[in-house]
Formats: sequence, C-alpha cells, structure tokens
Amino acid sequence: MYGFHGRLLWVDLSSGTASWHQLAEGRLRLFLGGIGLGTSLLYDFAPPAVDPFAPANPLIFASAPLVDTGVTTTAKFAVVTTSPLTNFLVDSLSSSFFALALKRTGLDAVVITGAAATPAYLVITEDRVAVREATHLWGKSARETQDAIREEWPNADVRVAAIGRAGENRVRFATLSNEGRHAGRGGVGAVMGAKNLKAIAVCGHRRVCVADPDGVEAIANTLRQKSVSALTVKYREIGTVANLAVFNRLGTLPTRNFQQSTSEAVEALSGESLLTTHFSRVHGCASCTIRCERLFQALTGEEQRLEYETLFALGPLCGIADPEVVLHAARLCDQYGLDTISTGGTIAWAMECAEKGIWPAARAQGLRFGSAPALLSMIPAIATRTGLGALLAEGSRQAAAQVGEDAQYWAMHVKGMELPGYEPRSLKTMALGLAVSPRGACHNRSGAYEVDFSGQVDRLRAEPNRGALVAAAEDYTAVLDSLIVCKFLRKCFDHFYREAAALLSCVTGWSYTAEELRRVGERINTVKKLYNIRRGWHPRDDWLPPRLLREPLPTGVARGTRLTETELRAMIQGYYKARGWDECGLVPEKKLAELGIGHEAARSYRGMDTTRLQSGENDYADHTHTCNHILDSHN
Amino acid sequence: MIDPTPPSQPHASAIILAGGKSSRMGRPKALLPFDGQPLIAHLVRHLSRLFPDIVVVAAPAQALPPLPATVIHDAVAYQGPVGGLCYGLQAAQAEMCFVTACDTPFLNLALISYLLAQMTDCDVVVPLWQGRLQPLHAVYRRSVAPLLHEQLVRNELRPIALYAKVRTREVRPEEIGRFDPEGLSFRNMNTPEEYEAALELWRVRQRAVTCTVELFGVARLRAKAAVVPLTLPPGATVGDALAALAEQIPALVGSVVTVDRHGLTSGYICNVNGTIFIRDTTTPLQSGDSLLILSQDAGG
Repeated sequence: MYGFHGRLLWVDLSSGTASWHQLAEGRLRLFLGGIGLGTSLLYDFAPPAVDPFAPANPLIFASAPLVDTGVTTTAKFAVVTTSPLTNFLVDSLSSSFFALALKRTGLDAVVITGAAATPAYLVITEDRVAVREATHLWGKSARETQDAIREEWPNADVRVAAIGRAGENRVRFATLSNEGRHAGRGGVGAVMGAKNLKAIAVCGHRRVCVADPDGVEAIANTLRQKSVSALTVKYREIGTVANLAVFNRLGTLPTRNFQQSTSEAVEALSGESLLTTHFSRVHGCASCTIRCERLFQALTGEEQRLEYETLFALGPLCGIADPEVVLHAARLCDQYGLDTISTGGTIAWAMECAEKGIWPAARAQGLRFGSAPALLSMIPAIATRTGLGALLAEGSRQAAAQVGEDAQYWAMHVKGMELPGYEPRSLKTMALGLAVSPRGACHNRSGAYEVDFSGQVDRLRAEPNRGALVAAAEDYTAVLDSLIVCKFLRKCFDHFYREAAALLSCVTGWSYTAEELRRVGERINTVKKLYNIRRGWHPRDDWLPPRLLREPLPTGVARGTRLTETELRAMIQGYYKARGWDECGLVPEKKLAELGIGHEAARSYRGMDTTRLQSGENDYADHTHTCNHILDSHN
Repeated sequence: MIDPTPPSQPHASAIILAGGKSSRMGRPKALLPFDGQPLIAHLVRHLSRLFPDIVVVAAPAQALPPLPATVIHDAVAYQGPVGGLCYGLQAAQAEMCFVTACDTPFLNLALISYLLAQMTDCDVVVPLWQGRLQPLHAVYRRSVAPLLHEQLVRNELRPIALYAKVRTREVRPEEIGRFDPEGLSFRNMNTPEEYEAALELWRVRQRAVTCTVELFGVARLRAKAAVVPLTLPPGATVGDALAALAEQIPALVGSVVTVDRHGLTSGYICNVNGTIFIRDTTTPLQSGDSLLILSQDAGG
C-alpha cells in the first residue's frame, strides 16, 4: 500500500490491552485519512447512544495519505470523537511534528476506548504500546507535560500531545495541544480527560512509500513555489490577525456577544497595529513553507501566539480593546487547555446575562463587557470548575439552560458550539454554513465565508441557491481535511479536485479522478450527518441563535441588515435539496448507494478490518429514517 | 455611493456661522449663488449627510432662505465668531458640535468625521493648517459655551483664547492630508475674486471623481498608509483608481497593484464602500466612494 500504512492500533485503557489491525483498502480509498477516516471509524465503532464522557466513546487519532510525503502544509492529524459540547460528532485538526511522528509509528489511526483507573499517558512506537503512570503530570499544562514526558523518554524524536487542567476537569470545550498547536474545538481534550488520559507520546521512523515519487516531487515543488507567492501573502506577512480591521470595516466583526458587528476600538487590536506594537517572531508548523503563526510579546515579556479567532473572541466579543488583556487571556487559555472561541463566547454570554440582570450571581462577580478582571478571573475559574466557572465549563448552551429561559436568547451557539468570528447577518452564505454544519457553529468545516468574500454573491442577501455553494464548500473542505492539506494552501490550487486527484494518485497509486475525489467529500459529510442522526439529530438543530434572526445589525456598513427565519429556512431547504436529502434533512437510502456506502458496499470494507472489535452493526441504512419521525416539530 | 444615513439620536450637531458683515464681498455671503442655490443652502445640504441636527446662526434680522435647519439670530450684532459660536452651542442638540463659517464651500465630510472621532477626552478638536489653527473648522464640546460667554463679557473676541482654558486636541497637517491633501476644507471667500475662483474650482471638481482608497493588511504595510485620497477624471473606474494609487504609492506596484497598474495581484480583492466586492475593474466610481483593498483570503 502506498501513502497509507494500512494499519490501525486499538487501545483499550480499561483493560490495558492493545491490538493492531489491518485497515481495509476500500475504507481508505472511500474516506482517505484525517477527518474522513476518523469519521468512518467513529461511525463504525461508537455505540449509538454513547455518552461523550463514557469509556466506550472512542477517541480516534487519524493520520492521512499526504502526511510525511514532503508536500507543504501537510503535517497534520485529526482527532475525531463524540463531542461533549455538541453531543454530535466532532473532528478537530492539529499539526506539526506530532503529526509526522504519529504517521512514522506505522499507523494510519489510533482508536482509544475505555478509561484508565488512574491518570495515565500512552506511549506508541512502531511495535509497542505502553500505558504509563501520569499522576505526577496531572495538573500540569500541556506544554509542561510535553516537556516532562520528553525528559522521561530522552529520544529527540518523541512527540507529545497532551491536555491541560481544563481537559482533566472535563470542561466541555477543552483542547488537546501539541507543540503550541491545538485540536481546539468541540472538547476533544475533555474526552481525553474523561479517559484519565493525560497525554499521548509517539515515536517512530517508518516512512511511508509513495507510488510515484517523481510525480509527487513535481507537484510538491509547484505547490511549494505557489505557497510563497502573493496567494498566501496575508498569512506569511501578517497572519490571520489581519482579519480584525477589515472585518470591522465590512461590518462582520462580532462585538459584545453579537450585539453589533463593528467595534469602536479596534485600532490597537488590529493585526496591522499589533505587528508594530507587540510583534515578537514568526513561527511555522513542521513541513510548512507558509509559516502563518505570529508570536506577540506582552509588556510582561511573555510571548503568546495569537490568531484572529482568539483575538476576536477574547477581544471585541467580550468588549475588550486592550491588546495586553487579550494576550494575557490567550496565554491563560493555552495554559489551561481551553478553546479560545468557546471560552470567549461563553464568557461574553455571561457578561450579557449579568448586564441584562438575568443572572444576578454573574453581576455580583463583576461580569460586564469590557471588564479585564472579569475576563481574566473567569478563565482559570472555568478550567478548574470553580465558582461560576463550574457552570461556564459546560458551555453557553448548557449554562443558559440552567440559568433560565431568558438566558438562552443570549447564548450564541449552534448545536452547542459557540460561534466563530464571522457575523452571519452580514455574511449570508456563512450563516447557512454555520446553521447546517454537523460540527456546530464552525468556520472551518465549510469555510462558506469564502463565497461571501468572493464577489460571486451579494453577501448581504439571503438566497436559496446558497445551499449548493455551501454543500460544495463543505465537500471541498472535507477533502482538504482528509488528505490533509492546510486550508491556507487552498488558493494555490487552480483546479483543486483535478490537481489534488493527480497528487493523490501519485501518492497512493490508486487512480483518482476529480469527480471521485469530490464524491469523497460528499461521502464524508454524509456519514457525519448519519452519525448525528443516529445520536438524535433533529431539524431544529440546523438553526441559528434567535438574536441573529430577530435583531438587525445596528452599526457599520451593514447597519439595518437582518436575516429572517423565512430566509434562513429557504436557504436550508436549498442546502438539503443540493445534497439530495429530503426536506427534513434526512438522507435517502439511494444516496448511500450512490456514494458507495450502501449496505453491501459497507459490509465489504468493514469485514476486512476490525470486525471483531465492533460493538454493533452500525449500518448507515439504519439511520436513513423517513421524514415523518421529526417533521412535526420543525422550527 | 452610499450616503451615510443620519442616526436617529444626534451624536453630533453642525453649527454654521452666517452672521458676518461680508463687507469686502459687497453683498451677503450666505446668499451668494453656489451650485444652483444660495451658498448657505449648499452648506446645509452637504452637512445634512453627516449631521441630523444643524444650527445656522444669523445676525439680528438677517434674511435667509428657508432651510432644513434650526435658524437662530445673534443676540447682539457682529460680536465676531465667539458670539455666534456661543449662541450656536447653546442651541445645538448634541454634545459634540462641528462649527464652520458659511463661506467655506469645499467641506470634506471624511475629514469632519475624523475630527469628530478625535473628540474622546478633550473639549475642542481644532485643525492646524499652514501654521494656523482653524477655529472655524473645529469641533467643540457644548459644555464650553459658558466659557465663551465669559469671553464675550470680557470682549475677548478671538476663539483661540478659549483653547488654553480647556482640553484642546490639535489635529496635525499630516492627519488632515490623509483626507484633504489640498486643504480645500479651509478655503473661504472674502472678495468677489475669491468667489469667482471658488466657483470655477467647484465646476472643475464637479466633473472630477474624488474618492478614497482604504488599505488593509499587507497593502497597508507596503504603502505605510491606511487611507489614500484620490481625485480622478470624470468617468473614472476602479482600474483608473488603481492606476492613480500606483502613481502615488509606487511601492504597491507588482506586490498589490499589477505591473500594468490597472488591476490587483492575485492575493487581493477590492470592495466599494464596504458593501460590494468588485472583480471587474471597469466598474465606474462616483465621488465620495471608498475603495477598500484587502486580502482575497478571509481565513482565520
């Protein structure tokens, strides 16, 4: 096999056993690696109604065919599990040397089930797995844990991914971190914490072979050259923090819990200003020529990496305008292992509830927009589940449900995941992408904002035909995330599917066509949807928070712009239609056959790998219900 | 272009001082024909795009055409600008007030917006242009009115005498130049000759397209400027604006603006007035448009 190793490692922490299994070629061809492989394994091996924190919830690490092939920006891995934040599937990506070391263990995926009796960490090499005592690491940050494990295993090639205290305490939006990078969204760190698993250390030297080394090299060279051209200049020269000032000008910068889409005080926080006032150095992931990371230096002298999403969520979303406060808050989130978007979103919700008088306890604690002490004290409280932090650690959806009905109006989430920094009312394609994403309010699994920024559509108008554009964007992104190629390389492809199919064919030796690759993306998104349906997905889950549908934007160039329920419903119907789903958003059986994952097809590839480990017959067709089940209570 | 819509609650008022003697002009300046209407009506119409509340301060018994503004009359004739300023501030609805004379037909709304935005922790925002403070193109906090009244009592009739008593922010020429490089905002008319010259300039500029380029991200870093004002020939397009931008800031050529100077390189896209993304560089521009240049990649 080329590009893949064709092997999967299964670790059961409860029994302390591990076994290696062959991965069927059919599965890899249909789903590639990364989120595709992780999704297909989760579908097959997760018990249908498993609690995200239950030992039986599989935590899956998936590598991908392009990893370690020398193609720029491909040192990435996916973590796939059932999310404690959304209760649906979550797939999260991280990158750098851990991704390379994981693949060099000779594995395409690691499936972890069970839970250790006491804190533990896993060590995985090419031929061994060890479960090690981690009591001495409990309470440490991911960075400290990484350093400690690398000292215990003084092999320069050991790479570590770990959780911080937030993960240990099952904060529902805890991250998994490696080398300063994070699998950030959806609480994969909390699932790891529930398994008493502090870290995973990987070490290997098994390089994967590619089918056509010269072909891969030629394409890799072209991409490498393009990756340092004007196509990526934003990422190379400023980083994602460049978004802040321009988003503000375009009226798409969520501010004070989405009360408005512009902020009065963005000058000091803008990427252009931060480069002048706080710049420290440029950093990049392993195998990356773009090097988008910007590290900034606070007045305390401490360095902190900032991305746009962190800047927006801990800045304008909470009414904070001081870069020093944002840097401090971001550092705390990294130390404790918290997703910055959900942290900012949940605290912003609490600030609004306090200001509106809905949550007196939060008001008494001094929570209000713009309060640096409130922001900086809430982050450790969340991570350690102390005081109000114990409730905020549940995320805005669950916290709001406990505070009361009024509080739910201000909880800015989709499927329980807090919204990212793209205002849906002034980015209508993005609004649809956020509403229907299987992962919840996520900017990465469809990237539908690209359509709004392209000039192809009027971003301020909602139209049913956006459905096809969102579906296409989701499929394209699923392929990027399964090859895996960084999204910041996307503009370097002139004809993505054609060029990616050629590259994948050279790597695997399997002859992919552009259309086949597009189908891979559609297949992955379909199985994600089926997984969510199996877990009780309802059409009302594909929806946006009420504020976005009732309040017009009050400021900026998009002032007066609104998104109505009728408009959103029409766009969602357009999306279901484009997907070939029924009007309730359910997947007809014929669609499974069309995608090669009908009953017989699925049986053939499943039978070849890990049948004996399977907890049940999780057939896709079992979850293609008819519409009548759930139609009556649609929004 | 899209006109800025006045907000429902006035955040700022405009005060036009129209009660001067017009002795060198030989006839009342406020009534001079300009752009097909009396000059005072021209100013009110122009300022109403930014200000929901406009106060015109006239001399006692001064005749004015009907105006969509609050017209008040000086209590005492010809006390100079301090009197008009004082009465105007007392009549204004908003806390912040932009003050101008009635003989400055080339007011620049972008510059005025910038002056208003500087009114954070001060009482007066006053431009410094060609070595002189411009008290009749400045923003005053309404709360300084009592101090002006005291000046009147003392017969201290120069507005700048106020500045030492309150928190005053001087706006430097380089700040002004970002919006109005020629300083036309401060050009007034005292004689028939100056009036004729202003009319001619108005005719030329009416045919021209005056717009602003706003630069974001790497484009801003390369240009070392965030805003670049442009004056373009009639019928100018986005491509013409890019060519003029390249002429003004050669550092952008090749990196942001294409070498032929009529398009953007592949990493960039432009947007007109913050709403519409433009790919077609033959799209015409209108006076007052803002052309935003930003990265075509919005990933974060």
